[in-house]
Amino acid sequence: MSEKLIKRVLLAAGIVFMLIFCLTPFIYMIVVSVSGNPSFLSGSVDFSATLANYRDVITVKSLRFLTYLKNSIVIGGIVAVTVGGIAALSAYAVSRIEFRGRVWVPLAVLAFSMFPQISIVGYLYKLMRAAGLINTYPALILPYIAWTAPLAFYILLSYMMQIPRDFDDAAFVDGAGRFTIFRKIIVPVAMPGIVSAMLLVFIAAFNEFLFALMLTSDHKARTIPVGIALFEGLHGEVPWGYIMAASAIATFPLVVMSLYFQKFVIQDVTRGALKG
Amino acid sequence: MGLGSRLSDRRTAYLFLLPLLVFISLFIVIPVLGTIWTSLFRDVTYLETAFALFGNYRRLLADASFWQSMKFTLLFVAVCIPLELFLGMVFALILNEKLPGRGVLRAAVLVPWAIPTIVAARTWELIYNYSYGLANWALALFHVASGPVNWLGTPLSSFGALVIADVWKTTPFVTIILLAGLQTIPEQIYEQARVDGTTFHQRFFRITLPILRPVIAVALIFRTIDTIRILDLIYVITGGGPGGSTTSLSLYGYKFFNEGDFGYGSAIAVVVFLMAFVLSITYLRVGGFRGAVE
Repeated sequence: MSEKLIKRVLLAAGIVFMLIFCLTPFIYMIVVSVSGNPSFLSGSVDFSATLANYRDVITVKSLRFLTYLKNSIVIGGIVAVTVGGIAALSAYAVSRIEFRGRVWVPLAVLAFSMFPQISIVGYLYKLMRAAGLINTYPALILPYIAWTAPLAFYILLSYMMQIPRDFDDAAFVDGAGRFTIFRKIIVPVAMPGIVSAMLLVFIAAFNEFLFALMLTSDHKARTIPVGIALFEGLHGEVPWGYIMAASAIATFPLVVMSLYFQKFVIQDVTRGALKG
Repeated sequence: MGLGSRLSDRRTAYLFLLPLLVFISLFIVIPVLGTIWTSLFRDVTYLETAFALFGNYRRLLADASFWQSMKFTLLFVAVCIPLELFLGMVFALILNEKLPGRGVLRAAVLVPWAIPTIVAARTWELIYNYSYGLANWALALFHVASGPVNWLGTPLSSFGALVIADVWKTTPFVTIILLAGLQTIPEQIYEQARVDGTTFHQRFFRITLPILRPVIAVALIFRTIDTIRILDLIYVITGGGPGGSTTSLSLYGYKFFNEGDFGYGSAIAVVVFLMAFVLSITYLRVGGFRGAVE
């Protein structure tokens, strides 16, 4: 009886703390983005609600926000589609075909994916400079493919391991080629997994910072995170209203996607494709 | 099936793996080997490149700023990870209760995880603003401190500010992993324990914690690997200051790359690489990943 009461009080307090802790910065970002005076908490100026920050961030050309957004979406999109294909092919091979080194491929891929970015970026810069690719889309697309592929490979490997072998073995015995089986049988069944892997890859590429900071130099290829990190006002001041509006625009689709996608992964990837 | 077709099947497997292996080799393995190679040279823009063997590493040993960033990085890991595991466990236990609106609560906890790190960092930077940030406003509102805190002005408060921001950003990840672990524990075990008259406290320490131990180990190592190479959050919030007191190893290495000193920057990067590598091997051992495909 008393244990139950204590538990209820603790639980309620925990929930309140959890919500305040997790949501306050996000709400603060939104609130500042719709204020005419980001310094309103000092008490010396009014809040003055306005959408001017959003309007300026989108329309003032010299801020380059839309260019950064376009760069991020194009780069993230190309990376996601490419990685979806690459990872599906390799996950199929490891889940279906017996070959020497089969057990070591996932281990090696996982190990490589844990290499710190700082141990890659210096030499990557030299490679890209030698290839004349600094400040171009390929300078980011190529390393992003390598850097996000392990994640997609892992999601798809666990997905494909759950599709029963009998499902496509019959076609193999009937003499269908591996690529035909992959394309006509496995890809359609694994589609939910492929889509969720591509979404995760897109988010990772969209958010990446260090490579983009090092390998781009201006708006031609600069992505949103670098743009927001280096955002400066027209007179060198820190334009908090603009930064928070730009942040909110860049964040909103990601939050929606992540929340949607999280259900996706937990439900679909864990259960497998063939129910009943 | 004949030997010939089995051989060609094997060849197909390598063909399917080829794109993945090519990309990883070209843009991960070669750059890492290149970094190790470069660390053996004096490689500075506008200067002639010269072989230096361990010259850069000798310089590291005598570099007080390097040791400062090593100290900061290790201390940051030591403070952040326990806090994240503790909070993550609390949140996971809450979300594991059968509550109305559990889906909404879970979504709320995931918000920090979904926000891009750079966006989160700039928001925290504003929160810590001395004259109009949310942190000092809240302190004044609840009369906690005698005056506004110069959050990003002193080494100790900057450290604390970064810890709070990092714990906020990464606790959701720990929560998800621990929650997945909690959901594998059958309810009957708790029912039986309740019948036996155990307290909540006993059930947690005698049932939940022992069962979750492997999951906790995975979360712990994964978060440690991630934190040991931290850069972007610090780059934005403190820029490594004040006076270099919050410069992480990765940020310290980046600063040399940025100035064109690739030899010394690479030596620092190799140190980060080795630390992460040792932890990764541990992770692969603990995780028991070989079993996954066998």
